[in-house]
Amino acid sequence: MNPTLNRALRIPPAYFVFVVLLATLWVTKPQLMNANVLGIFVRQVAPLGILVLGQLLVMRVRSIDLSGAGVLLLINYLFASGMLGDTPIVLMLLLSVCIGCVIGAFNGYLVAKRRVSAVIATLAITVILSGLVQFLASGKPPGNMPALMNEAYKLKWGLLPAPVLVWVFLTALMAVFLSRFVFGRFIMAVGENPTASHFAGVPVARTVMIAHIIAGLFAALAAIVQSASVAVGSLRLGLEMPIDAVAATILGGVIFGRGDGGVWGPFFGVLCFALLFVVMTSFGVPEPGKQIARGLIILLAAVFYGLSTKNS
Amino acid sequence: MIQLRRLFGKNSRQGNWWAPLVLIIGTTAVLIATTVDFATPQNASNLLAQAMPLIIVAIGQMIVIVLAGMDLSVGSVMSMTTAILALDGSPFVLIPLVFLAAIAVGLTNGIAIVKLNVHPIIATLSMQFIVIGIAQLLRPVAGGSVPEIVVTMVTGRIFGMPTTILWGIAVIAIAWKVLHGSRFGLHLFAIGGGVASGQTDAAHNYGLPDQRIVIKAYVLSALFAALAGVFIAGRIASGDPSVGSQFALDSITAVAIGGTQLSGGVGGLHGTILGAILMALLANGMNLANLSAFLQGAIKGGILLLVIALQSRKRMGL
Repeated sequence: MNPTLNRALRIPPAYFVFVVLLATLWVTKPQLMNANVLGIFVRQVAPLGILVLGQLLVMRVRSIDLSGAGVLLLINYLFASGMLGDTPIVLMLLLSVCIGCVIGAFNGYLVAKRRVSAVIATLAITVILSGLVQFLASGKPPGNMPALMNEAYKLKWGLLPAPVLVWVFLTALMAVFLSRFVFGRFIMAVGENPTASHFAGVPVARTVMIAHIIAGLFAALAAIVQSASVAVGSLRLGLEMPIDAVAATILGGVIFGRGDGGVWGPFFGVLCFALLFVVMTSFGVPEPGKQIARGLIILLAAVFYGLSTKNS
Repeated sequence: MIQLRRLFGKNSRQGNWWAPLVLIIGTTAVLIATTVDFATPQNASNLLAQAMPLIIVAIGQMIVIVLAGMDLSVGSVMSMTTAILALDGSPFVLIPLVFLAAIAVGLTNGIAIVKLNVHPIIATLSMQFIVIGIAQLLRPVAGGSVPEIVVTMVTGRIFGMPTTILWGIAVIAIAWKVLHGSRFGLHLFAIGGGVASGQTDAAHNYGLPDQRIVIKAYVLSALFAALAGVFIAGRIASGDPSVGSQFALDSITAVAIGGTQLSGGVGGLHGTILGAILMALLANGMNLANLSAFLQGAIKGGILLLVIALQSRKRMGL
């Protein structure tokens, strides 16, 4: 194939989609194009953006993590139900992070050591966790979130909302981690070819395991930011969030075993989601339409990558 | 005799089908001993009606799992089927429409996987969202009414026998013909066996039309899901866009318990049916024990995790 075309196919679709969406919004709703409004849109997707950082890691080692929905529900419930009484908020945050890591480690054990299909294993974890949380709450929505978290969520630094700042910081951290550390190279090698990596002395199972633990950690951080964004807890958090994370990651050019988009591709993939739902709402697309759009995005992005790998 | 040995013998491709049989006998014994309501004709007919949709979807799911694939869109096809049947219109238009829609979903899945090189799980996962979206557009909340003929077909009686039994016989006969009485069935196991042993091209190199077979398998899986959807629509007599949400994972659990290997090539009809019956039996037992529906969901997830953790696989990841 033509090398220029080949290179063009390697640019993540997220960048094009982002520009198109931004242009659409500019033309149809110019009154929305100011820093304050856009800041609110972007702030809404900060939890998704943080979740994506873990997702892109596991997807690069040919795995997937759909347990984010369960982690989100559990930590949301933990904060809202008040089941821990007057525990200081710092301890609760620490506990949440620990929960994320433990669930991530369990995923990692299942996927890397037991070699269970990652989709089924992490989906089953979500089913188990959401069943347990709903049982604990006996189906009723839990109480209010700690006020302190909600205040922290609304902080701003200049024009940038605090959650967005956290998200950008974590993304930059991940970019450095992947490009400057040995582990980043391991991730790349395992994704490109697990067998070759094994014979080159890369600890394949351990790399996959650590990727899952980090994904669990990011799921917990996303859950904390998400919990801070709402005033009351909810039991209605569905599978949408991890699925959107998968879609944003694929849109950003990272797909099973391939990491063309790096860390910033998926970052823009998430921004696409921020704008997409605004555009759809402003055009009056109903909820099922958004559901269909969600499916189509994943399918089209996967087809895009399926075709570009078939040709090379 | 040879045929029987090939299906039930030690070295058959059917997988470990006797394990669910032992578990079914054990569970039945425990339920008869501990609960009064279990061994009643009423409960037996409930159990059969509960098991039937799962048996039907699980057979379709097994067909793609033998190819080392997976169909996560079956539950959404069931929901869409009930939504279509609850539309206004003649049943002679709606019923063919249901199966045409299922064929469209199966074809899209198959073509995306084979021709466009998309991973089966990603293709069917995204299809699930699209189909649920369509179901919700047709029927935003549960309601409406299903044509009378569909309700009679499912809940009626013929010569004093519940039609559920006829459904079971018909579905098993069709599935038997597809899997054990056709060239397609043989090719299915040939392709799956190749994938399982790491030789993805083996079947193709022997001259099998492997792409066409994979597409056919996904169409069949969607068709079985639609059939299960018709059955459920007859039972609830209305349309419900969320009725199938449990079935994608439940069918995979039933197939995996029945000894079918998720890595492909090994699996069978009787194991799958036994797996689905076992799942229905457990659900029935948990209902009789008054267990919270939420806890039942968690327990089913735990069973799925346990069953697939016990299967060994060479490949790591998806």
